[in-house]
Amino acid sequence: MEVKLQVENEILDKIKHTFHSAEVSIPRKQRVEVKLRNDLIHPFLAYLKDTLGFKHLSHISTVDWLEEKEIELVYIVMNYDNLVEVIAKIRLDREKPEIPTLREFWPQVETYEREIHEMYGVNFLGHGNLTDFILEDWEGIPPMRRDFDTVKYAKETYFNRPGREDAQDVRTTITKKSGEEIPELAKVYSVRHLE
Amino acid sequence: MEVSYDKESRKIVQAIERFARKHSLWVLAYGTGCGAIEVPPTMTSRYDAERFGIRGAATPRQADVLLITGYLSVKTLKRVIRTYEQMQDPKYVIGFGSCTINGGMYWDSYNTIKLLDMYIPVDVYINGCMPRPEAVISGFIELQKVIAEGKAEGARKYKENLDWYRANQQKIIHNWNMPDYNW
Repeated sequence: MEVKLQVENEILDKIKHTFHSAEVSIPRKQRVEVKLRNDLIHPFLAYLKDTLGFKHLSHISTVDWLEEKEIELVYIVMNYDNLVEVIAKIRLDREKPEIPTLREFWPQVETYEREIHEMYGVNFLGHGNLTDFILEDWEGIPPMRRDFDTVKYAKETYFNRPGREDAQDVRTTITKKSGEEIPELAKVYSVRHLE
Repeated sequence: MEVSYDKESRKIVQAIERFARKHSLWVLAYGTGCGAIEVPPTMTSRYDAERFGIRGAATPRQADVLLITGYLSVKTLKRVIRTYEQMQDPKYVIGFGSCTINGGMYWDSYNTIKLLDMYIPVDVYINGCMPRPEAVISGFIELQKVIAEGKAEGARKYKENLDWYRANQQKIIHNWNMPDYNW
């Protein structure tokens, strides 16, 4: 059966007509994906909110593209009338990620931006309240960046119970002692690939 | 006024003291991590922990027992230390669940501590992830036994080794802006 994407195609046409440089695609029903230039994100979201009726901001997500030296911000907005979600993606420079805040559009953005600032080190210009949020007195690189070695940091910073430093799978130890075999099904979860 | 007891009457007084202490354990109504969800069923009608003299207290200064119910992030640890230092003698700490014992499933987390007894003295540990109310009550009975034997001396240990505990605490809490409590 062919899926009709009438509403999605209408939105796609409107976006393409207004923002010529945007790459627009429809990955599935009720979803439109847009890749934008950095400086276009504000006019784009203003256009969506005021003209096309995308009144609800669901989430701001972040992806760290370590190999490409970029940080991607993903804005997800939704329209209550036709239940279509638009996913707007922009890419920032990883060394100095900066983008103006979106607080004037949706006040709840403040929380998302504080968290992204703390976990990824993205600087939201004009935010005004980028203080400590979940982590207190964090020093060093933000913990959600991919070049941050979590295990190494945890081992260096916190004390470990003697005998549990290597964090081996408990089941492996038990089966070694008792001589039983781990069932085939459970083996996937028993073998840990740790360095 | 100075009261001097001889050895025999001191023993009797101590026994009465311990008996009274072990039958009125007031738990501070404070929960960290996911274990806090096991405390309401323990306290309410089905498991009814009050028959053992265990009941809630509103403030740290009224409480005898501090339940650490689960993982502690660095931010929460700061609050826990402050709470613990506000509590008055006699005071006891129960470590609750495997997160307080060895980190549990958060063994590789960048923001949770693994060993609770390096930061505050723990009298009794309850294992499990999470311990059911039966296990919680069994842990409290264990604490009562320890108190009756006079071995629950976490508070004294903390006072005597304060420098060691402070060094451990300040290793991870960089911005130490807490008041010093005078016990």
